Amino acid sequence: MNSVSDKIELTLPFKAEYVSVARLVASGVCNRIGFDIETIEDIKVAISEVCSKIVSIGSKTADNYTIVYDITENALNVVYVCDDPSIKCIFDEEKDGLAISIITALMDSVVLCDKSNRIISMSKVLEGNR
Amino acid sequence: MSEGLKFVEEKLDDSVKLSLFGEVDIYTSQELKEKLYSIVDNNQTDLIIDCKELNYIDSTGLGIFVGALKKTKQYGKKIVITSLKDNIKKLFIITGLDKVFVIE
Repeated sequence: MNSVSDKIELTLPFKAEYVSVARLVASGVCNRIGFDIETIEDIKVAISEVCSKIVSIGSKTADNYTIVYDITENALNVVYVCDDPSIKCIFDEEKDGLAISIITALMDSVVLCDKSNRIISMSKVLEGNR
Repeated sequence: MSEGLKFVEEKLDDSVKLSLFGEVDIYTSQELKEKLYSIVDNNQTDLIIDCKELNYIDSTGLGIFVGALKKTKQYGKKIVITSLKDNIKKLFIITGLDKVFVIE
């Protein structure tokens, strides 16, 4: 693996049946980095929560959204992007309390309302590297 | 892809037991909602949800559990959740739902 970072991009349609694909890719990527099984399950949940929210919102102008799995030697950074600029700050603190609690508890850092062109970014660092 | 969601419903003396198999996510959650709500409305008894073979659930699924609990309470009954796997029990603890449901 490249010592700086490797990127894997997964582009998915706004369809509920493909959210499980994001979990499958997360499993493989996290296993490659060396996360233990419990942590891999946690990361899969967090990644899936964001996908579910994006899918539930949908888009009038874009057909797909993209998940970028950014792999470093000791961490996974996950970024969600979409061509539709209206998909920003997607989580509502009142309505999405369960999802927000889960994502923020399971990941090491989460930016729910990114000022750049990202929808959301979050990361998890290998135990012992924090 | 997703392993989907399957149910087995069993009527006991004074309750109904629903065993879940597979995954609850945004794709399968509507199916779960319809199943749970129909059991609660049709039986008006305590509901036991067996999660021994439930491998994955997200906030959508947890929200449906909460909705079913509200309906169950309208009939003066309760929901008991059994045999949760550690990764799923963790979600109940994170969200505080371990204090809302009877978990065995």
